[in-house]
Parts: sequence; structure tokens; C-alpha cells
Amino acid sequence: MHIPDGYLSPSTCAALYGGAAPFWYVALRKTRKLLFTRLVPLISVFAAFSFVIMMFNIPIPGGTTAHPLGVGIASIVLGPWVSMIALSAALFIQAVFFGDGGITTLGANCFNMAIVGSLVAYLAYRAMAGRSAITSSRRVVAASLSGYFAINAAALCAAVELGLQPHFFKSASGAPLYAPYSLGISIPAIMIGHMTFAGLAELVVSGGVVAYLQKANPSLLSFTGPGLPLGPAEGAVAASGSGWKAARPLWTAVALLLILTPLGLLAAGKAWGEWSVHDFSGAAARQEIARASRNVGPPSQAPSGLRRFSTVWTAPFPDYSPSFVRKPAFGYFLSAMFGTGIIILLSIFVSWLAAKARAEQAEQTREPRKRER
Amino acid sequence: MDALEHVFYAEEVARADGLLQRLDARVKLLGLLALILPAAAARRFVVLEGLFAVAVVLAALSRVSFGLLLKRVWIAVLLFTGVIALPAPFVTPGRAVYQLPWLGWPITAQGLESAGYLVLRVETAATLCVLLVLTTRWNHVLKALRVLRVPAVLVTILGMTYRYVFLVLQTAHDMFESRRSRMVGELTGGERRRVAASSAGVLMSKTVDLSSEVYLAMQSRGFRGDVYILDESRIQRFDWIMLAGFTLISAAAFWWGR
Amino acid sequence: MSATHSNSAETIPVYDVRDVSYRYHQVRALDHLDLRVEAGRRVVLLGANGSGKSTLLRILNGLCFPDEGEVDFCGKPLTREGIESDGFGLEFRRRVGLVFQNPDVQLFCPTVFDEVAFGPLQLRWSEGEVRRRISETLEMMEITHLKDRSPHHLSMGEKKRVALASVLVLDPEILLLDEPTAALDPKSESHMIDFLVRSRGAGKTIVTTTHDLDIAEDIADDCFVFHEGSIVAGALPSQILSDVPLLKRTNLLHAHLHVHKSGEVHSHPHLHRHEE
Repeated sequence: MHIPDGYLSPSTCAALYGGAAPFWYVALRKTRKLLFTRLVPLISVFAAFSFVIMMFNIPIPGGTTAHPLGVGIASIVLGPWVSMIALSAALFIQAVFFGDGGITTLGANCFNMAIVGSLVAYLAYRAMAGRSAITSSRRVVAASLSGYFAINAAALCAAVELGLQPHFFKSASGAPLYAPYSLGISIPAIMIGHMTFAGLAELVVSGGVVAYLQKANPSLLSFTGPGLPLGPAEGAVAASGSGWKAARPLWTAVALLLILTPLGLLAAGKAWGEWSVHDFSGAAARQEIARASRNVGPPSQAPSGLRRFSTVWTAPFPDYSPSFVRKPAFGYFLSAMFGTGIIILLSIFVSWLAAKARAEQAEQTREPRKRER
Repeated sequence: MDALEHVFYAEEVARADGLLQRLDARVKLLGLLALILPAAAARRFVVLEGLFAVAVVLAALSRVSFGLLLKRVWIAVLLFTGVIALPAPFVTPGRAVYQLPWLGWPITAQGLESAGYLVLRVETAATLCVLLVLTTRWNHVLKALRVLRVPAVLVTILGMTYRYVFLVLQTAHDMFESRRSRMVGELTGGERRRVAASSAGVLMSKTVDLSSEVYLAMQSRGFRGDVYILDESRIQRFDWIMLAGFTLISAAAFWWGR
Repeated sequence: MSATHSNSAETIPVYDVRDVSYRYHQVRALDHLDLRVEAGRRVVLLGANGSGKSTLLRILNGLCFPDEGEVDFCGKPLTREGIESDGFGLEFRRRVGLVFQNPDVQLFCPTVFDEVAFGPLQLRWSEGEVRRRISETLEMMEITHLKDRSPHHLSMGEKKRVALASVLVLDPEILLLDEPTAALDPKSESHMIDFLVRSRGAGKTIVTTTHDLDIAEDIADDCFVFHEGSIVAGALPSQILSDVPLLKRTNLLHAHLHVHKSGEVHSHPHLHRHEE
């Protein structure tokens, strides 16, 4: 889901660089606080690891392969902020030196995969794993699902960014200037592939690695383990953030629902499953040909073959009228839902940060327990 | 391994005596951005074509073989973005200019235009980026980021990431090789997933171990969290001239493309 | 068991390690270890792999700190606070250099030039000084032709030379070398050994760990034997090398099958060394 140059308008690119910048800034500040010197090589090597993971091709039922991002496992082992930096570094190297992803769109790609991906993975994991023991199987399940949600959240962001392009950016003659497919196409097209293939790949890697680490090296999982390694100070944190903190898992779930529900609505066309989707153009073509025939020229021109086609598409789900997908307002509705979900997630995150900062201040007055090697 | 060969070749081109090779990395980086941005913003074909032509001329003057560009960039982009753009002529609402025989699917002018924009933009941007990377040593590319106010520590992280990508690739490669040599017959999909998962796990453990060792090595040579980078290149008159040239072309492209 | 050398009671030892223990992942890497290293001596720590030698070197380099026991450096205790302080810490980094066993760990910069530049830059030397020292060191190690290469393109021998250069550029008085000849091709190994032999009497204190008995006598003035986390013997190299029971006990002795010129095939403890 790396977006190349040319698919997003300059204003979209700028907006997403702007959106990414505060996160990068905070991530740097946060990692400065936590044994920064040790993290420099850790970030670099982890970024290299993530880079290589993106080259892993995992076979998926059906005979194709898909590749994960490693964002699930990065967030679980490193925490979200360090994961953001590590993944951004990997994406940068891919974009500049290996041509995978664009330069103007680097901000967007980092926002989607490194930032949203890390946050969703981390929050989902903490919410689902709760206070279970580091070696419990609940954590493996939580890790798998978090990876799955994370890669799909990232994909949804990408799909929305791409899908909004033709709405806003058209040439004088009405031709889309950048990504040509609107939300009605981009979202299902991208999400199908990710909810199935890529999502499964990420799920396998996240869960598999956590399971492996539980046996081989559980200390690597302790950073996001039950309670942060704060010791007695943690009690103080819990007390001060009480009401909000208790409700946090609930809000997380709500936020995730807000983000993922649009998927459910749009993925209504089960008929898409019968196509072998390797990249989204396959699905897009079929669906939109049906659509195009109604927009262009008089309806009587529509060949009978196409009419038959469109019946096949709508028949299984008569309630989900396809016309509703085509209203421009729908696109805005989606973005609004999505935006709300993100804002809620952000608020949860900010409150957690504040709590953690309080705890760290409390800890700095005692002897910090550093790991020696 | 592909990645390694890819890099080897880049280092060769960077050593050749061409126009871009003679430029300071910072000027090239700024120049690249100066040309990519109007390519991303242009609303007129002719401007895009002009920028692409500039890229091609720069390539020629820098001894970058067209065969290489074709294989590595132009055809790759055509395949990837071309396939993505293919439905656009059918899908985009607008004035029909043609109808496919047999299927009767109409092709719109706007759709063609849109597909054209997409492909041309990506080709131009990709060519420019590849030119930067082929004509500049990679550590200079990274050091040049300082001119964009990227913090030194990030530049260091990027440099180390690049360096360790190859080590991690090698480790992963060795792991798979040794596994493959111990196996007889094909694995089922499920088994391969398990292998992939546990390989990722082992790789990650090694990754973390490696980083701890590297940290010790850095500390051993005095690293305390601040990073100091030696600025190796000097900007000369030629660099200023080229920078001015890039700026002019960029401004013109922005103006005509608006 | 403590190991000291004859008349150096008056001079302050570079290192005075007393009753040091260190645990690593539930394993006792170092177990009540004592060691004295005198200034200007070349010391070899012999021990089979995994006997804790690397850990000791890291403690000597102030990279980790013992769970129990004390380490004095030139008469003063070596502590975490001291290393983290600006004054003593930076001085220490300049005076003591460690070459790791795995050079990939130590070569983390984009090019050889950057790698050799790293140390001086971290110590905040002036740019002119940095450049001068770098070219001198590259010359001395005969790797000037490699200066723009990336570490992943180098052979093991070249990597080890670059790693050594990156430490020597600071002109440290004390050099700690972890298995310097391991995994090296014969030519590179010879270069390394030449370097160590030639350093005799050069005023540097060199501590080398190795399991290779064949080179011990050539590169060392003092020889200590490591076994299961502590030092079990310390004497002149020739004495240690002729103490066959000791070498067998500490798993340092070859005893593999080999073929004599006469055609006889058997195994017995042996060293691959010169007979003067």
C-alpha cells in the first residue's frame, strides 16, 4: 500500500506531511526521555528488520502471497512511538533508494503505515491483552488481531486519501488530476486485498513472532506487558487517571468501530470475492464499468450485457442499494466517521501519555532500574 | 540478492564522470525536490512532458544509460501504474470518445486524460528520484538531508538502517538457506506460514541482540546521544549555477502548470 | 586465585579487578574473578569460547558493570557515574579502546571513512585534527583504498582492519582486543599477529582474548587462563603452554586425530607451534 508520487495532490501531500510532523516530533521527544542513546541503534536495526519483513511473502490460502508490514510486532516490542520512527525510517529508505513509494507521498505513507499503524496496533494490543501474563495465549491472539487491525487501518487511510482525490482535484475538463478512483472504488478495492491477504500476512507475523518470543525471549515483550515497568509509581498513575482510564478500553473499541464500520458498509458486494485480486485494478474495473454505463450517455445505450452484470452485483444484497454508494455525500460521511474515530483514538492516547509522563516524573526521583548487559 | 546488486550498480554510476555526479549532494536533493513538486502539481500535460524531458536530458548528461532507466524505472512504472490506470478511461465520467467493440464499453476523454496524468507524473517523479540516487553516494544523500533541517540523529538512524538492511537481509537469507537445505519435499501452506512466523521471530531476536551490541560499540567510541557528522563537500560556483537553473525551471513549471 | 607479577607492587596497575562476579541471563559469566594488568604489558587471556572473556573485556571498557566486586582503573574505581561524567568519561573513551569480536557490530557507519571518523568526532576534536588523524590511521593500517567503501562490501579481514583502525585513530594507551584472529584468512591473521608482535615495548597496554594457543607466546608478555568465569592460572606464556594438564582441564588443548608423516594415525594433545 505504498502510495507513489503523482497519486496524491500537492495539497493532500502537504496536509499529510503536516499531519505526520507532530507525531514525528513527539516520537523523538518521547524516545529522548527513554534511554535515547540505547534506542538509536535499536531503531535503526528494527527499521532494517521491518524493511526485510516487508519483503517476506507469506502464502495465503488461494495460492497467492501477501506481505506484512511488521508494524504490529514493532509496536508490541518497541511501543508505538519508537515503532513510528523505526517504520518511518524503513519507509524512507524504501522510497528513496528502492523506489517503493513516492517522495512527495512519503508523509502520507508514514502517516498511514508508521503512525496510524503503530497507534492502532499498540492500542488494540493493550486493550485486548489487558493484564494477562506475558506468556499467555491471550496475548498471541491480541497480537495477531492488533496486527490485522493496524494494517487495515493503514490501508483504510490510504484508500480514503486516494478516494478523495477525484472529488477535489479535477482539471478544467473534469478529468481527475491524481488518483482517478473515487471512494466508492478505492475503499473496497484496497480494503479487500488487505482484509484478506495482507491482513492475514500481518496477523501471521504478529501472532507468530509473539508466540515465538514468549518461549525464546519474553523480556522483549515486557515493554507493552501488563502494566508498564514502573513499580509502585503505577499505583499513583492509576489513581489519578481513574475514570478515564477505566473507560479507555471502551473508547478504544468505539473508535475502532468507527474506523472499521465503513468497511462493512462498502464491502457489501460479496461478488468481489470471486475475482482474484492481486492489485485493486481488477475489482475496480468490473464494478465501475457497470457504473460508468449509467453515467455516460443515454441509458438506452447501456448494452444488455452490462445490465445483466449489474444485477449479479446487486442481487445478493438488495438492501444495500448501490446508488447510495454513488452519492458524493457518502464520501464525506465516511471521512467524517473516520475522522471522529481518529480523534477519539488520539484523545485516548494523549491521556495515556499524560499519565505516563506523570509516572515517569515520579520515577525519576527514585533509582531507575536500567537493564545491564 | 537483488538489493545488493541494485546497490552495487548505483555505486558504479555514482563514480562516473557526468553532470549530476559533479554536483554537491545538497544541490541535487534540493534540485530534485524543485522538479518533483511542480510535476506533482501540474495541471497541464505539456508541463509534465517538459519536466520529463528535463529529467531525460539530465540522465543523458550524467552517463546514466537509457537501457537501465528503461528497465528499472520506465517499464516498471508503466506496468505497475499502467495497470492501475487502465480502468480509468472506462470508469471516469465524461465525454465518450470511443467504444470498445464487442463489449461496448465506452472510453471517455476525461478518463484518458486522467490516466495520462497519473502515468506521466509517476514516470517523471520516479526518473528524478532514481537520478538522484544513482548519481550520488548514498551516505551523501543522507547527509544532504541536513540542509532540510532534518535532525542529525535521524540522519544517523537512517544511515545505520541502510547499513543494517544488508546485514539483516543476509541473516534472513542464511536462515532460509539453512532451513531449505534441511528440508525434503514441499511444505504445505500452513507449514510455510509457521516457518515464516518463526523465522520472523528468530530474525527479530537476532535484530534486537545486534542492536544491543551495536549500542555497546557506539558507547565504546564515545557516543553519548549526540551525533556529529563531518561535512565533506564544498559548494562551488558550478553548484550555484545549477541550483539557479533548477529554481528557474521549477518556477516556470509551476507557473505554466497552474 | 590472584595473579600478579613480580616487582610491580609499587607501580599502579592499569586494571585491578577484585572478586568480580557478573550474571547474564541467569548464567554466571564471571565468578569471583581477580586480575591485575600492569602498565605497558601485553596480556593474553586464554580461554575456550563462552568462558566469559568477552564479558570481562566489556567490564574493563566500562560498558557493563559487575554485580559484585570492584574494578580499579589506574588506581581509581571504575564506576557507572564516572563513565557517564563528561570529564572522566570522555578521557576514558580516548585512553581505552575495545575491538569487538564481531566487526559488523562495530562497523555501523556508512563508509570506512565515516567509521574511522566517528570516534574523533564524538570526542569533539577539531575538523582539521580529525581529518589528519584519519588519513594517518588509514595509511598505517593500509586501508586508504577502502575509505569510501561500505562495510557490507568488505571481506572479514578488511572489516577487522577497519575495526582496529577505528579504535587506533584515537591513539589509546590501552587496547582491548576480543578474539582478533578469529575467522580470519591466513594473510589477514598474519597481519594482525605482526601488529601485536610489533607492539612489544611500544608503551601500550594490550589485553587480548583468544582461544588460539599458537599465537599466545608471540603476542603476550603475561598469560592468564580463563575457566568457567574465573582466572585459574597466571604466568609467563611459555610456562602456561607447557602445562598440559591445565590446558586439558580448561578445554584449550587440541587432541584431534591427525596423520603423522610415518602414516600413523592417532590423537594426542598437541600444539601447532614452532619448535625453535
